Amino acid sequence: MKKKLKLTDIAKDGDRPLTEINLDELVPLPPPYDKIEELPAFKQLTPDQQERLICNLDGVVSYAALPKPKTKKEEKRYVEQFVSGLKKLLSKENNWTFLQPLLLSIDYCAQCQTCCDACPIYLASGKNEIYRPTYRSEVFRRLVKKYGRPGGKLWAKLNGEDIELNWATITRLYELSYRCNLCRRCTLSCPMGVDNALIAREIRKLFSQELGWAPKELHEKGTMLQLEVGSPTGLRPHVAIDNFKFLDEEFSEATGIKVSTPWDKKGADVLFIHSAGDIISFPEGPISFSILLNAAGISWTLSSEIPGYDGVNYGVFYDDVQLAKVAIRHAQIGRKLGVKKIVMGECGHQHKALLTVADRVLTGDLDIPRENVMTFLENIVFSGKIKFDPSKNDFPVTLHDPCNLVRNLGVVEPQRRILRYLCPQFREMTPHGIDNYCCGGGGGLSVMSDVNFTDWKAHVAGRLKLKQILEAFADQPGPEVKKYMCAPCLNCKLQFRDLFEYYRVKEKSGIIFGGLGELAVNAMAIIKKPFITWGER
Amino acid sequence: MSGIVWHIFVFAAILIFLIVATYRTLAIIRLPIHLRWELAPIPHEKGKQRYGGSYLEDYEWWKKPQRRSWIAPIIYMVIEIFLLRAIWRHNRALWPLTLAFHTGIYLIVGMLFFSLVSAVLIIAEVPPSVLNVFLAIVSVLAAAGYLLGGLGAISLILKRALDSGLRSFNTFSKYFNLVFLGALFTSGAYAWFSLGDFASEMSLFIKGLITLDAGIAASFPLSLHIVISLLFLIYLPFTDMIHFIAKYFTYHEVRWDDRPQDERMKKELRRLLSQPVSWSAPHVKADGKKNWIDLTTKKTNDEKEA
Repeated sequence: MKKKLKLTDIAKDGDRPLTEINLDELVPLPPPYDKIEELPAFKQLTPDQQERLICNLDGVVSYAALPKPKTKKEEKRYVEQFVSGLKKLLSKENNWTFLQPLLLSIDYCAQCQTCCDACPIYLASGKNEIYRPTYRSEVFRRLVKKYGRPGGKLWAKLNGEDIELNWATITRLYELSYRCNLCRRCTLSCPMGVDNALIAREIRKLFSQELGWAPKELHEKGTMLQLEVGSPTGLRPHVAIDNFKFLDEEFSEATGIKVSTPWDKKGADVLFIHSAGDIISFPEGPISFSILLNAAGISWTLSSEIPGYDGVNYGVFYDDVQLAKVAIRHAQIGRKLGVKKIVMGECGHQHKALLTVADRVLTGDLDIPRENVMTFLENIVFSGKIKFDPSKNDFPVTLHDPCNLVRNLGVVEPQRRILRYLCPQFREMTPHGIDNYCCGGGGGLSVMSDVNFTDWKAHVAGRLKLKQILEAFADQPGPEVKKYMCAPCLNCKLQFRDLFEYYRVKEKSGIIFGGLGELAVNAMAIIKKPFITWGER
Repeated sequence: MSGIVWHIFVFAAILIFLIVATYRTLAIIRLPIHLRWELAPIPHEKGKQRYGGSYLEDYEWWKKPQRRSWIAPIIYMVIEIFLLRAIWRHNRALWPLTLAFHTGIYLIVGMLFFSLVSAVLIIAEVPPSVLNVFLAIVSVLAAAGYLLGGLGAISLILKRALDSGLRSFNTFSKYFNLVFLGALFTSGAYAWFSLGDFASEMSLFIKGLITLDAGIAASFPLSLHIVISLLFLIYLPFTDMIHFIAKYFTYHEVRWDDRPQDERMKKELRRLLSQPVSWSAPHVKADGKKNWIDLTTKKTNDEKEA
């Protein structure tokens, strides 16, 4: 039974979860995914984990390494650090990067709750109060007013908005900031323009930049590892080159045409920056671009300089300093190679980070032209330099819109023009375009898998997306018809990998997922064998 | 209330409103330029706004002039402000209530404007046939505004109190704001119904203000309404109800701010990046002296120290 939660509950009874997730309360999925007893169970914490870990929000742990204070004094120290960070978040020196949007969202929410029904997580959860986009924002808003404004404590009491700030409050707020995909669908629906996703990100930023708390996959094994060795995957430069050499050979054999990938070519026109996760997990994607760019006669190169062969930038999810460090390195590498432009691989947050969010830290020489991959690919496909045979793609195809590429950047139509041309059975999901649902892995969640977080992503965060994918193919639901969901984003694909494995979507519904480059290469007249092998490769 | 007190009260209220509203507007304007955080659809994107596209869709966009529409953002905001498009699309149950409430406010503002015009016409001694047209407009706007606004305020109070989704977010000030506005509308409706000619009395009152007439006076129902309205005018800029100003910034300065760097911006960015940073987490390596450039452009092998 869902509990009615008050905002003040966040500070109470800090050793226990505030709410719980019951599978029978979630939004139902269509057959054959509607039988709860046949789905994987939600992993519960063991008694040992309950003892060791902070698990006081919803029974889910996204960051096992969250410190567990042994004394009240230690708890108090963390709370004081939180207040110190909160004040820095309100300062022009420490947070010029987002101060204006943050204050506008803090000060002018009308509490109309219009945004709630736009949130795929809140809806999928069966409208669990804790996942309201406004719950997290309002708790934080009240803390900002109480601790960041003159007379705030008195006003909080007089206005009946007093929230106690204690260990329970800050740890729950931390976890709650990672129950948001930062997809900004709520922002789109807000009549005031209030941005709950931004507030979630600012909370993450406070924890990261002041207390050093951030999910290990985003920070320690994310941006830190990327800046140190080149990639959050741990892929080092020489290994990346070796991997590509191997892939070039393998795909030359598989496709019957010579595949080669250039590295560190000074003076090339284009520096192409893939995500290293694609190289490792979905190599058809990067290789498809090697094939397309070579066939179109483009002067291009990859870079083996740290971190020029991995375009991910997890800083955009949680930390401005890390965001800037990674983006600056990418731009510096482009300048060093003397390219005319940087093109990012199929990865939504990479685009958002390098194209727009970091645009205003790439000053002077670093302001190098940057182009999105959908437009770049559209130019290749319609250039007439490559002959396509769309009948090779005559199977049902739908398109997932990565939030960062579509709603956040306004890159909507180029990928659709390609799909309408190359895929005779292309159909849209509902809703789509800028109204799309997030894959459930947005905001960095797709790479996070600590403790039982994957269960939450599969059952709650990705639920509405799975539902709409199945509905897009409702005319041919069975596994006998092979179907392709185009997801031109690494992070989305990582989430789909978890989601599809979890629900056994390929076996039950015959749906696979992949990028747009693969569909383009599959339709190339010159390719003798199918490039898309339905998971057989 | 004697004439001089009315003058002081009215002009002081207007002055306080203007000073505080200007101060808060300037406070927003003076905040530093922020990182880009736009959100589609951006209405000034000519030819692309329909589906939420942006100039980033263009091949080598930096070589092309951006095709910006100046009229589309205005049309977008007019629809948003007067028809509450976002609430219509995403919160249909709330829409009629809040539309009535906001339309009531707009009609009252319109009524004040036409009362001012009527007052000027009275001073100019225009023929009664002309004046009566304006007084009729004042009367209709007032009646419709008070009725709609009053109904809207009452229904929103009930909605806040009864809807479990809204209730847990309520504070004393949320109710107080609605009750205050409800009192404004109700007192206006009371004045309209109890006075034989609300429009004339309102216009004559404004004429007295303009001409600094020491003998300015108003009947009890109108006095009550004016006092409540002036108290609200003083209170308004101190609250989040000035979202009608903030909304310009949330849309134009955040959601629709897709400007690439220009020379002026570059200069400002250099200044911002030169500011010292004092975040405490070890990986930031801030000491209160190093600036953003120092912290973000260090050689990568330094990362091993963190």
